[in-house]
Amino acid sequence: MYQYDEYDRRIVAERAKQFEGQVERRYSGEITESEFKPLRLQNGLYMQLHAYMLRVAIPYGTLSSKQLRKLAHIARTYDRNYGHFTTRQNLQYNWPKLDDVPKILQELASVEMHAIQTSGNCVRNVTSDHLAGVAPDELEDPRPWAEIIRQWSTFHPEFAALPRKFKIAVGATPGVDRAAIAYHDIGVRLIENEAGERGFEVLAGGGMGRTPYIGQVVGKFVAKEDLLSYIEAILRVYNTYGRRDNLYKARIKILVNALGVEAFRERVEEEWEQIKDGPLKLEQAEIERVARHFAPPPYEKLPDGKPQLDALRLGKDRELARFVRNNVLAHKQPGYAAVIVSLKQKGIPPGDMSDEQMDAFADLADRFGFGELRVTHTQNLVLPDVRASDVPALHAELVKLGLATPNHNKLTDLIACPGLDYCALANARSIPVALELMERFEDIDYQSDLGELNVKISGCINACGHHHVGHIGILGIDKGGEEFYQIMLGGSAGYDASLGEFLGKALSVTDIVPGVSKVLNCYLGLRTSPEDRFIDVVRRVGLAPFKEAVYGPPTMRQGVAHADH
Amino acid sequence: MDWKSSIALSLCLTQSEKMSKQQLKWIVTGNFTADGAVAYLQAENRFSRQLVDALVFENKEDAEAARKAAAGREALVTDPYVTEVADADKQLDVLTARERIRSQGPSTPYGRLSPTPRVV
Repeated sequence: MYQYDEYDRRIVAERAKQFEGQVERRYSGEITESEFKPLRLQNGLYMQLHAYMLRVAIPYGTLSSKQLRKLAHIARTYDRNYGHFTTRQNLQYNWPKLDDVPKILQELASVEMHAIQTSGNCVRNVTSDHLAGVAPDELEDPRPWAEIIRQWSTFHPEFAALPRKFKIAVGATPGVDRAAIAYHDIGVRLIENEAGERGFEVLAGGGMGRTPYIGQVVGKFVAKEDLLSYIEAILRVYNTYGRRDNLYKARIKILVNALGVEAFRERVEEEWEQIKDGPLKLEQAEIERVARHFAPPPYEKLPDGKPQLDALRLGKDRELARFVRNNVLAHKQPGYAAVIVSLKQKGIPPGDMSDEQMDAFADLADRFGFGELRVTHTQNLVLPDVRASDVPALHAELVKLGLATPNHNKLTDLIACPGLDYCALANARSIPVALELMERFEDIDYQSDLGELNVKISGCINACGHHHVGHIGILGIDKGGEEFYQIMLGGSAGYDASLGEFLGKALSVTDIVPGVSKVLNCYLGLRTSPEDRFIDVVRRVGLAPFKEAVYGPPTMRQGVAHADH
Repeated sequence: MDWKSSIALSLCLTQSEKMSKQQLKWIVTGNFTADGAVAYLQAENRFSRQLVDALVFENKEDAEAARKAAAGREALVTDPYVTEVADADKQLDVLTARERIRSQGPSTPYGRLSPTPRVV
């Protein structure tokens, strides 16, 4: 993984020191809260309902075991013994004290981590495929490109005060999207053209939130050496023409869709013509320098692990068999597997991990890999380099930690934002709905029967829980100070990106989980075979039968036609 | 608060709201600057972490004047605002799910909830 050079180390350490001074001036009254707020936000520090929240960047979701131990130490020393992995591959602490934040930033700097640009109207943490470097279907590891973008965007003076926040995701697997690339302000996909040359398809204008859009292709084939200049051109067009008069219309998706993608592309390419042969042109030596940080680890030469894993999938140990079936994925290196470790345990908020679990998991990353782990945008972890022969031993250790839930890509592998239990923007709670769904549908055989199913829950229209792209999306709303929930169906965050549609009027907090249950029963009745996935059925039959299942026949419904979206 | 029992929180809230409309009053709340904890303006211009200590204003104008004064004490409290409460039978009650959660803390578990790991 990427190792800081002297320059990186110095700027991160100086940034922590600088924030210490800003906190001192805030307390002394030298600067007001309104002056302090943008400074703390640029360092990832929010004020939430009950406490500050510090968001720590995990670039493209890659962490070392040493860094995870430091995160555990910070949770134990400065917070309440846990951290929360987010839908953008970051980690949030929910209870830091203001005085402690400069110390936390110094602790993070000591392991080459920081909270820079995890908030504010700037380029945020660059995300990527959590199977980068190990997926057998990828063209090449996308992380060097994510790192090149990270270095370019960090402290970029021209883009420190954009109209709104800006998110970039990078992937490198043709026809597969494990990073919700189409829902980013810029999505970068490594592709191969008919001549066998590799370059990038660059999307712009994707996003969720109040006005969701699927990103559109702006750069159809951008040469590798031109990646940064092309992205810079997009940012320049956005920075120039993006709206600053209306917070809700300030994201690039609004600009792209207001202009139309053709007109937007024309402006980008006009800008790009002026800068593409300038200092942003990437030299091969620089690409190779960064790529060396992501060189494959020293794998052993092993026989193909598939027969071994297939035997485990059919073995007598049912718990292990389920785990291998659902959570153990193919690896590009013979004899190895990537293991999804679900952070969706019954009774525990999705994405939460205690300090003790983090420490123990760091040990597992050392013992069953090369000291590296990944964070997924679906709030899980990955051990990317596990020997197939080690899977039973790893599973046994995960069971002891309560981290062996075999529910990857199943109903209870849901994602949820912090919601009204923590978030100052939320209208309704997300976590209790997630917990109730996880308890009610705990039976893994039932979940396996349902097949691939993504449930995503947001506590407000800002969509941190990605409700627009859930096969089943749940959106919390506020009606007169009371929490209600709307169901959406048919969304997808994958390569077949689609936005869900609202099913009908909002359900009360006590009706939402029974409502989901009715949707599931309806699906089971409609599917033609166990291979007929939920998303395929919704796309085939539309919402009508699901609407009837939840709200009754049209003649029985009241107010459905006036559903408040 | 147990998350299962808290599921019914919104319904209770609605009933409370309906019952207490006649007794609408106002309090001033914000967050302590030092740790972000919920702060309620209490008597003698002090701030408490407990809703029960909140100074209750009979009219919104007085509450707004108190908020303005509190806004000048930024080293202590950040972004104070006025919110409605019901004050029936000496029982102070906030009127929205948001304020209920602010006053009681997260309705869901957090922290060390999984089994303590053995040495790996």
